[in-house]
Amino acid sequence: MDANRLSQGQLIAAISAIALFIISFLPWFGISGGVVVQGVGAVGGSTNFSLWEAENPLDIYLMIVILVALVPAVLALAGGAGDAPLAPFATALLAGVGTLLILYQVFDTPGDADRKVGLFLGLIACAGVAVGGYLSMQEDVGGERY
Amino acid sequence: MLGGRLSLGQVIAAVGAIIVLVASFLDWVGSGGVSGGTVTGPGGASVTVPGVSGPSFNVWEIPGSVLDVFIVVAGVVALLPALLAFADAAEEFSFVSAATFVLGVVGILLVVAFLTVDFPGEGAERELGAYIGLAGFLVMAFGGFRAMQEEVVAGEI
Repeated sequence: MDANRLSQGQLIAAISAIALFIISFLPWFGISGGVVVQGVGAVGGSTNFSLWEAENPLDIYLMIVILVALVPAVLALAGGAGDAPLAPFATALLAGVGTLLILYQVFDTPGDADRKVGLFLGLIACAGVAVGGYLSMQEDVGGERY
Repeated sequence: MLGGRLSLGQVIAAVGAIIVLVASFLDWVGSGGVSGGTVTGPGGASVTVPGVSGPSFNVWEIPGSVLDVFIVVAGVVALLPALLAFADAAEEFSFVSAATFVLGVVGILLVVAFLTVDFPGEGAERELGAYIGLAGFLVMAFGGFRAMQEEVVAGEI
């Protein structure tokens, strides 16, 4: 496989998508609190949730974004880049909406849970996928390839 | 007024968007509740106890869900050609039909996942609103696909 077959936009989208997949397993939300146990005293504790553990359709949505972003790269590496003309547009659109959805979660966390590092890294990675998709669209119009 | 500016695909997509937006205010998740019955007391006296329905939630009330935001984004995109036609605006966006199709397909996948593998809560029940929402996304995706084909035939792409 030759990575030079990928355009700059496809490369950015694919790397960001892989990063987003890895980040999805980091803690995105956390619940911290303490309980008073008789005879023991106050016992504190916190539980963190990855994207997949939080009851939220965002995991399914971001999985779709990751797959859509990786498809053009895989097709390009396989030598069939012309088989998915809608892919760069779909990548840019879905990742753009995904960035909006993660941003919404930053301000409106489920059940007043704490924001964890995965949420912010996921936001950056999803924005990276959107930028890569947009650049890929521009390259398709201009006919540029690295 | 609108018939001249909107293609059939755009009209179908707009109808699908309205169905989804209306469905978002119907109940999607219900907690079942307790069914009624007859309680027989000492001496044979019986009392009929009415059933009590549990709380139900529409898309906007499901805690932590992003489906509501997605529905608004998809609905606005699908309704954009109709809104521009209503406003008699000269702008036309070539990407709207493709965006409607893509968002409609992803909406179908999200609602199917919501109804199957990603349903929130234990013991909760699937309500009618979720199925109407799914039907709305199907209509929206079909309308977007048809509008794309109509644009190709008209030589606009």
